[in-house]
Amino acid sequence: MHIDWFVFFAQIVNFLILLFLLKKFLYGRIIGAMDAREARIAATFAEAEKAREEASRSVLMCEKKLQDIQGASDEMMNKARGEADAYRRELMDKAREEVDEIQNRWTETLRSERENFFQELRRLTGTQVYAITRRVLKDLADMDLEQRIVQILTERIETMNREERERIRTLMTAGEKITIQSAFDIPPEAREKLNGTIRMSIGSGIEVAYEKSDDVMSGYELRINGYKIAWSMKDYLDTLEEKFYHVLYEESQERKQVH
Amino acid sequence: MEIVAINQISPDQVILFQWGWIVINATLVYTWMVMGLLVVGSILITRGLSPERAMSRWQNLMEVILSNVRSEIGEIAKDGADHYFPFIGTLFLFILFSNILTFIPGYVAPTSALTTTSALAVMVFFAVPIFGITKLGVIEYLKEYFRPNVIFFPFHVMGEFSRTLALAVRLFGNLMSHEKVIAILLAVTPLFFPIVMQALGLLIGLIQAYIFAILAMVYIASASQSHEETEHKGKKHGKETPEK
Repeated sequence: MHIDWFVFFAQIVNFLILLFLLKKFLYGRIIGAMDAREARIAATFAEAEKAREEASRSVLMCEKKLQDIQGASDEMMNKARGEADAYRRELMDKAREEVDEIQNRWTETLRSERENFFQELRRLTGTQVYAITRRVLKDLADMDLEQRIVQILTERIETMNREERERIRTLMTAGEKITIQSAFDIPPEAREKLNGTIRMSIGSGIEVAYEKSDDVMSGYELRINGYKIAWSMKDYLDTLEEKFYHVLYEESQERKQVH
Repeated sequence: MEIVAINQISPDQVILFQWGWIVINATLVYTWMVMGLLVVGSILITRGLSPERAMSRWQNLMEVILSNVRSEIGEIAKDGADHYFPFIGTLFLFILFSNILTFIPGYVAPTSALTTTSALAVMVFFAVPIFGITKLGVIEYLKEYFRPNVIFFPFHVMGEFSRTLALAVRLFGNLMSHEKVIAILLAVTPLFFPIVMQALGLLIGLIQAYIFAILAMVYIASASQSHEETEHKGKKHGKETPEK
């Protein structure tokens, strides 16, 4: 096999020239473009990865914020609930206090009205009973009530036992008066008679003063330095008032039960 | 009239011009044609080169070919693939285009001439120590000839020569025989078989270009990796480095 050495070396040179030209026109450019593209793609991927990581971080941050908000909301809700409960309790206490106060006021008013009522009742009843008694005595016994009352006082003084008289005498000091209070004006004749009876029964120099007072319920009161001889319709009226009270109380209780 | 007659074993024998010892034969002319095609094609393709994702079809084709060559080199060389890429890539592209242009009537592959394949093999023969010394240094490179011991030195030297010869003859033999088979078939059965053989020839041309380039790369890579490095890599990958 013959080899032409000129052609052989020419082929070597040809190859070297081709190598140089391809390196200049092909490899450098193509590989440069490929590397640039790869770098660009890698940069895009890196950017995408960075964006993804940023998105993940944002998601985590948002989740954390959401949890915080949820926590804060729960806390706020619990606080608001607690405050509302406290406010409700406060309002309830206040309302209860107000109700108690109103009830107390009402009870006080009721008690006051009841007292006024009974006082008025006592006054009216006293007046009426006095008028009726007076009239009955007049009609049945042809007697004057005031005269009868004075007569009773006179009899009472006359029938005092010895100890009682002594006791009154000891109570009497110099210049001390015996005061007789009555709901009506004692006529002068009756006064003279009473004065006489008192002086005769207790002592001769005793001064007697007469006073008219509404406090003495259709009766009299004889006062000597703290000692007292009295008669009035007060006891009868007290009993009547008590009975009225019971009747009214029972009725109100029955009404309550019905309602 | 046929450019390469059946009795002419290679295009080397088709002398177009001769002036003293300067001979211009068909091999050189076809080589220049392939070179011209490659260079002009490269210039045209890389003229409107785009680093963007959208690119021309030719650029895409070239990128596919070159990126595959690059990755093949990378797999063999492991590191510094771009260092070997112009040499191996030029070998591959030259042989590939020389071979596949045989479908053009009247064209004879310059690689079917022993002068061309010998020149390429000699290029590889010199490239091996050049790359090896560049990578390892003279002493380290020469030490490889005395491994595992000094007795192996002549075998290494014989190996260098024999594999260069094998490279040249393998490519020449394949391409030349293919040309001859087609010429014979054209004479015997001019209708169907030559076309099948042409198609087969394209495949053979591609395979031969691949084999030549890969073998060249393997030789260069084996010379560029020191013995210790090879052992280390072998252990690292859990297997011994395959025989070259």
